[in-house]
Amino acid sequence: MSLRHYTDAFQQLAVQLPSEERTAREASLQRFTQAGFPTRKLEDWRYTDLSALTDQSYALPSPATPDLSHLHLEAATAQIFVNGGDGAFTDTGREGGAVVALNAAFARNGLDLDIGPGQSLAQPLHVLTWTGHRTSAMTHLRHRIRLGANARATVIFHHAGEGAYLTTQVTDIDLGPGAQLTLYRVQDESAGSTHLAQSDVRLARDSVLDAISIDLGDGLARHDLNVHLDAPGAQAGLYGLYAPSGRAHVDNHTRIHHRAPHCGSREFFRGVVAGSARAVFNGKVVVHEQAVKTDSETRVANLLLSKTAEVYAKPELEIYNDDVKCAHGATFGQIDEDAVYYLRARGLEADVARALLTQAFAQQVIDRITHAPLRALVTRRFLERLPQGAMLETLL
Amino acid sequence: MNMLEIRNLHARVEGKDILKGIDLTIRAGEVHAIMGPNGSGKSTLSNVLAGREDYEITEGRVTFEGKDLLALPPETRACEGVFLSFQYPVEIPGVSNMVFLKAAINARRKHQGLPEIEAVDFLAWVKDRVKKMHMDIKVLQRGVNEGFSGGEKKRNEILQMLLLEPRLMILDETDSGLDIDALKIVAEGINTMRSPERATLLVTHYQRLLDYVKPDFVHVLAGGRIVKSGGPELAQELEARGYGWLDAA
Ligand SMILES: Nc1ncnc2c1ncn2[C@@H]1O[C@H](COP(=O)(O)OP(=O)(O)OP(=O)(O)O)[C@@H](O)[C@H]1O
Ligand SMILES: [Mg+2]
Repeated sequence: MSLRHYTDAFQQLAVQLPSEERTAREASLQRFTQAGFPTRKLEDWRYTDLSALTDQSYALPSPATPDLSHLHLEAATAQIFVNGGDGAFTDTGREGGAVVALNAAFARNGLDLDIGPGQSLAQPLHVLTWTGHRTSAMTHLRHRIRLGANARATVIFHHAGEGAYLTTQVTDIDLGPGAQLTLYRVQDESAGSTHLAQSDVRLARDSVLDAISIDLGDGLARHDLNVHLDAPGAQAGLYGLYAPSGRAHVDNHTRIHHRAPHCGSREFFRGVVAGSARAVFNGKVVVHEQAVKTDSETRVANLLLSKTAEVYAKPELEIYNDDVKCAHGATFGQIDEDAVYYLRARGLEADVARALLTQAFAQQVIDRITHAPLRALVTRRFLERLPQGAMLETLL
Repeated sequence: MNMLEIRNLHARVEGKDILKGIDLTIRAGEVHAIMGPNGSGKSTLSNVLAGREDYEITEGRVTFEGKDLLALPPETRACEGVFLSFQYPVEIPGVSNMVFLKAAINARRKHQGLPEIEAVDFLAWVKDRVKKMHMDIKVLQRGVNEGFSGGEKKRNEILQMLLLEPRLMILDETDSGLDIDALKIVAEGINTMRSPERATLLVTHYQRLLDYVKPDFVHVLAGGRIVKSGGPELAQELEARGYGWLDAA
């Protein structure tokens, strides 16, 4: 195993760091090099192979000023991080596996949002990360969101880029009592990209998380979303649409920990897998002993658009007490050819019919997006990748 | 002029011969009824005409207004004016009736070289037809046939027919599962469309619909062949005597 390129890159970075920060980050780097990138021997990484990253050489990013106007979002305040941005290198924390350790060694500060008790964000925040280089490079960002008691916010993470690169994004979120966060994540990275992300959300009493995750990217993407329902009355809704095509690979791992009584979690993911793409969904709900009156449901449905598309979707439940209401299920299917025929018999071209049926399937998740400009952007990007999908835009 | 000519049509599905030499000529302005026992091939014939791809045509030909119908994909047939009212309309959750109807109308207009229909015109046109079919305007927002009762689905088929204004209307048991009032509404819908330029092929098991929509010809399809043809009186005879006597003939 050689992670030489990563240690070399770190030496270049280290000279820019204050000595205290350097020592802390050296420890993170060491944790990373000792563990190495996760291999498929690990249960949580069975279907996602990162071994190619080991010998990859990614340079430290350099500044760029791309035209990002096509990614502009109305009715939102933009915060843009191009090539990792120019945030400070502050303490990144030490918890987590190899990917988090890699991030901790290199990361700059990304979003740092702190909303005081009872306050709310006037407008959704559009946090756009964009990566693009002439040579392949890597960017690492650390985001933090803290909502005080009864605070409210909507945050839209939007990840895009050009060319070949590696990006890691680690996000820490704390919701105070009664706080409400709507968290969007749109992963729209390039075909040559590897996107590794982890988000940890801790929910206090009666707080509410709505997390809507849309994976449209063409590269390899993995997101670990860990939700901790730590106090009574906390509610989490996790919704997702993953739509890889071509040779894309997308992996969503969610963990919902019910650690207190009377908490609820809803998880609803849909996958549309085309071409030779591969999708992985693993949604695990752990109901700890003290979490009585837990109400939890996980559903994942998949639509396979080609014979070479692959999907591994598994909801899991681990329950350590009897007084709970839990349900889960996974479905896999193809486009209903009877419906295609019906639409064709009314004059719609076969590709248009298929696009319409695919869009209807995905719409169940897209409709969860209450921010209209974002919904429009996601719909457009989703349709663009379907044969004849663009034709539907005028129709809907 | 002959609108539809079916000559010696043989069709097979999953290695099984279903249609075994159908000959039928329909002229513009005519209404033909097809009756026959369950499993005799009535829906197969309807679907072969509409272009369903599960069937293998092993012999014969079909011309529609002079064109080789069997060479066209289903969507082109629809745009050319062939309409099949399905025996079992398909439910399409998540695709609203409104989007569906607009897509269907615009597909046809595109084929005819016309621009897309104006939103206001479309709405007015749809509302008018929905009213004609005594349907609730709210169905337009619902998924296509989603959760519709059997009768509602059949009405929805006729609504589509009124909007698409086809020239050849193939109605596969559109009368089955309708209550008495709905049957009248559906029959009215069909009669509205009757004109010297249009033709109708009615597949039915019952005389009742034929009381409202008077056929010019009645055919009996049995074992994949048309075994008897006649005028409207044949339907009455079948109603009274069943199909058994035809075997002997
Ligand atoms: N896709 C298919 N696969 C296998 N057999 C089929 C298929 N479609 C039709 N058949 C068979 O073909 C025969 C004719 O069926 P068809 O539906 O045309 O009959 P029908 O005259 O419309 O009957 P009904 O009055 O019950 O509607 C039946 O034996 C049926 O089982
Ligand atoms: Mg039938």
